[in-house]
Amino acid sequence: MRHNDMLFMVLILLTHKQMTTDQDLPMDSQSATAMFAAKGLDVTPNKDQGVIKIVKCPGLGAEQPMIGDRVTVHYTGKLLTGKTFDCSRDRKEPFCFNVGRGQVLKAWDICVLSMQKGEACTLLCKPDYAYGPPGNPDKIPPNSSVIFEMELVNFEGELLTDDSGIMRRIKVKGDGYTNPNDGASVDVHLEGRCAGRLFDCRDVSFIVGEAEDRGIPLGVDRAMDKMQRGEHCVLYLKPKYAFGSEGSAVYKIGPDEDVVYEVILKDFQRAKESWEMDLKEKLEIFVGVKHKGNQYFKAGRYLQAVIQYQRIVSWFEMECGTGLEQQKKIQECLLTAHLNLALCFLRLKEFSQVVDNCNKVIECDESNEKALYRRGEARLLRNEFNLARADFQQVLLVNPSNRAARAQISICQTKIKEHHEQDKRTYANMFKKFAERDAKVCCNSKLLSRKGL
Amino acid sequence: MMKGDQVKDTFQRWRDTREEDLNPEDYQLFRDLGSACLARGDSAQLLEFVQDEKNQGIVKCMGCVIMAPLVDEVVKKVTSAEPCQAAIVYLTRTCRSEELLHGLLELIEDINPGDISQTIIVLVPHFKTVLLRMEDRKATSVGLVLAALQKQMQRLPVPYTPQQEEADEYGLCRCCIALLQFTKCFVEEVKRKHGKSVTTTEDEELRTELLKFCMRSLREPLLEVELSHNRKSYLWLFATEIMVTLSTIQVSLSELLFFYNSLKKSTAMDNSQSMESRASLAYLLFVQLITIDSFPAVFSPIFVLQCNMEYVSELLSSKKESHLLKGLALNAKSLESVQDHSLPVNLMELKSFYSVPQKLRQVLTECPMKHLRESALQVFQLFVNKLDTEAKHKFFRCMLKVSNHAGVESYIIKNIKNHLEFSMESGNANKWFLGEEFLSLLGLVLHLPHGAETDLLNSMDRIMESLNLLRYLLIRDKNLWSNRDVWEELGRMKDEYLKMLRVCLSISRAYYSAELKALKEDQKLKAKEAREAARSIRLSKSIKAKHEEVSDMSPEVQHQVLQSALVTFDLMESLIVRIEEITEEKLKIPN
Repeated sequence: MRHNDMLFMVLILLTHKQMTTDQDLPMDSQSATAMFAAKGLDVTPNKDQGVIKIVKCPGLGAEQPMIGDRVTVHYTGKLLTGKTFDCSRDRKEPFCFNVGRGQVLKAWDICVLSMQKGEACTLLCKPDYAYGPPGNPDKIPPNSSVIFEMELVNFEGELLTDDSGIMRRIKVKGDGYTNPNDGASVDVHLEGRCAGRLFDCRDVSFIVGEAEDRGIPLGVDRAMDKMQRGEHCVLYLKPKYAFGSEGSAVYKIGPDEDVVYEVILKDFQRAKESWEMDLKEKLEIFVGVKHKGNQYFKAGRYLQAVIQYQRIVSWFEMECGTGLEQQKKIQECLLTAHLNLALCFLRLKEFSQVVDNCNKVIECDESNEKALYRRGEARLLRNEFNLARADFQQVLLVNPSNRAARAQISICQTKIKEHHEQDKRTYANMFKKFAERDAKVCCNSKLLSRKGL
Repeated sequence: MMKGDQVKDTFQRWRDTREEDLNPEDYQLFRDLGSACLARGDSAQLLEFVQDEKNQGIVKCMGCVIMAPLVDEVVKKVTSAEPCQAAIVYLTRTCRSEELLHGLLELIEDINPGDISQTIIVLVPHFKTVLLRMEDRKATSVGLVLAALQKQMQRLPVPYTPQQEEADEYGLCRCCIALLQFTKCFVEEVKRKHGKSVTTTEDEELRTELLKFCMRSLREPLLEVELSHNRKSYLWLFATEIMVTLSTIQVSLSELLFFYNSLKKSTAMDNSQSMESRASLAYLLFVQLITIDSFPAVFSPIFVLQCNMEYVSELLSSKKESHLLKGLALNAKSLESVQDHSLPVNLMELKSFYSVPQKLRQVLTECPMKHLRESALQVFQLFVNKLDTEAKHKFFRCMLKVSNHAGVESYIIKNIKNHLEFSMESGNANKWFLGEEFLSLLGLVLHLPHGAETDLLNSMDRIMESLNLLRYLLIRDKNLWSNRDVWEELGRMKDEYLKMLRVCLSISRAYYSAELKALKEDQKLKAKEAREAARSIRLSKSIKAKHEEVSDMSPEVQHQVLQSALVTFDLMESLIVRIEEITEEKLKIPN
């Protein structure tokens, strides 16, 4: 007992902040393990003493991070010699990562999941859980145990989309590595709640990308390709990914409500990858997928339609085909998909995406009336009036009887005029002085040149 | 031109006039007088005028207009520039900073292509003086100035060789150093303020502008530049300073590189530009190891690889040598830190793990530069080595399906053989290479793309390698295989393939023999057809492309080519015979 206490003192000395470079307290891996094992907790799942944690300062409350959460920590990493090799405080910024995803050392993923918010601890990591046989050039010798001091500053759920519309927190991690891709068939159990009220609870199978057909919101569908077999997670959905501004009569959900789904992915069958199919196969399923996309489009489910059309693009964009006939077919499929995507994005008001998709079409077929027209519409709505007008004029060159384009051109012209006037008003005050001066200079130089000076 | 007295009168009138009452004519006149004075080489007189106590009113409101001729004078170095320099310095401290800024920006905008670097170097210190005097909208103005300067610098050619960099004929290196000196005080300012708890939007804006500057610098010129550890050149210094600046203004490199999507996108840059900037950043950090010491050491190597593959993919999409070199180096570096046989198959689902090998293949088969092809091949092999068994299996299948190039395919088949050999060592047995799963892979190897009509010369590399693999399979102990069914199926696949190959061989041999005969009979008449054949031979070149031109072959050479085709067929045939012999020998030995 006494021996252990003494060792612990040494440990505290060793990990103390000021002591960074001293070589006078070297420790071998064995005595370090003994020391940590005496005071600390083995946090590895298979209890091999690979990561032993000593809590220095317990956290606040019982809440712990869940797998995939974005966690913020401060840390100092040291060799057993006491030498610091990495420290977040030296950089004056805390360190962020998604826990349990293999982004960091194994020891970290294990340890952080065992911590509470605000907790500070010291952990001893065996090489297998840290830098392994190779070590880290210039910093960590091969096969070294290392010590980390760590403080869990904060954590929050993982955002699955750029617009923060879907947040996930994983309760139970799934097995293996594969995820259901678009077109995969999945078996799930789900429970939907809105403000604490359970509105949906069932086992259901659906095709990824087509969850809509089973009354499952887009957010759950989009989360599928981030889940593994057996995973149990909670999804926090913003209205855009749930029931939108319409709400849902069936589930008695009002407009613009946030909802929460608990999902268990029981099983799935992946759809074939693009490279696993030959051209013939792709052409066969093309028709069905396009049809599905068109259905969603007609129903006003533009985000769902986009998924279908994008599948088509992903199959054909890398396909080169042999012979003219095949190439022509590939191009036709791609053109259809891009044109439809442009239309969807136009409805979704994602104008730069409209322009991108139209550009893809125009690259292969510069006189494509629809693409030019749609690009014009997008540009008009993006207030790029001159570019829009040029597009509509191009449409008229291709098809002089396109009356809609003619009407759009006059809209552009009005807008350009309005815009000029507005500009003038806005800048009038700002540049009044300069404008006056310029006008006079201009006059003047005209006068001068008239006089032949 | 005005006479001396008139000038004096004018000056006096200006001294007595309030600013609001000055006409545009007056501004123009002042400018003309200034220019005329400089044209006479009388810069000292101009300086004297500017500094004269009683002219301060004039200078304060109209001084800006003589900035342009003064700068012009300094850039051209026509006469001794000292008084001009002094006058510029004086003006930058006296005139209104907004007007000065406006004027100087216009000078940059209208720069003469021949004077870019000289003008930038002359103007940068003055920009700094003016900006430091500004009270509001300073951050925005710093941004404007940096953007304008960099826009002009993009027009300067980037040095290609160390000698060119040393000589710095177009002044890019000097401009870079001038920019660093310019940004230094603003960086310091951000650093100073960051310690404080209250940061204003103005401070935040200055930080953003500096971040934008760094991102632009990373893309241009740094993405074009060839840097080397051993040569701490000016551009190396520039790269280092940019990296240091990023951390000084509290931009986390790990957030920028690995978690870009969760970053607040304050930098108004389109996606492809920011992708290039970040790719350049990844290269400087991981390959050139600039500031790697302050980069967190706790990321797992596989995660780093996974993120860097996106950047590699971006860099390899380019046709520029400097981009390709950086992409290959970054790929090699990120792969090296991963242990062999450790990349799991799920990684193959990431888009970049599909696109990078495809882009490597493109470099291997299409890039005209030998050194790039060679290092691409090394990286390709390194990538294969890092995959675990299942991932290798999937990767080989994928490459055989999509590569459409006999050279690449033969390389893959050689790798399959190597991994088979590895799997047969004790402790390495696995179902992917010694079980049922192997059949799907072998099916792709023992495949003639156009059946009996396959062009054997075109696919020669691939066929020879597949025969080699078959021979290897047969001489090894069949008990290594997980079960008997697999072994039997394997035999059946082999028989079918050899049968098809024999048919194919006899068709080809007949064709080429006839061709050879025809050539002998009438060389002149058949010259055209021989050229056709030659063309098909040219297609058959493997990865290590040869450089001879074959379209204008003499009849003797054509003869040789046809002859060597026939020799190739003999070689294939003898391999087939050997395989059949082995099969028979194996049959004779009882289990």
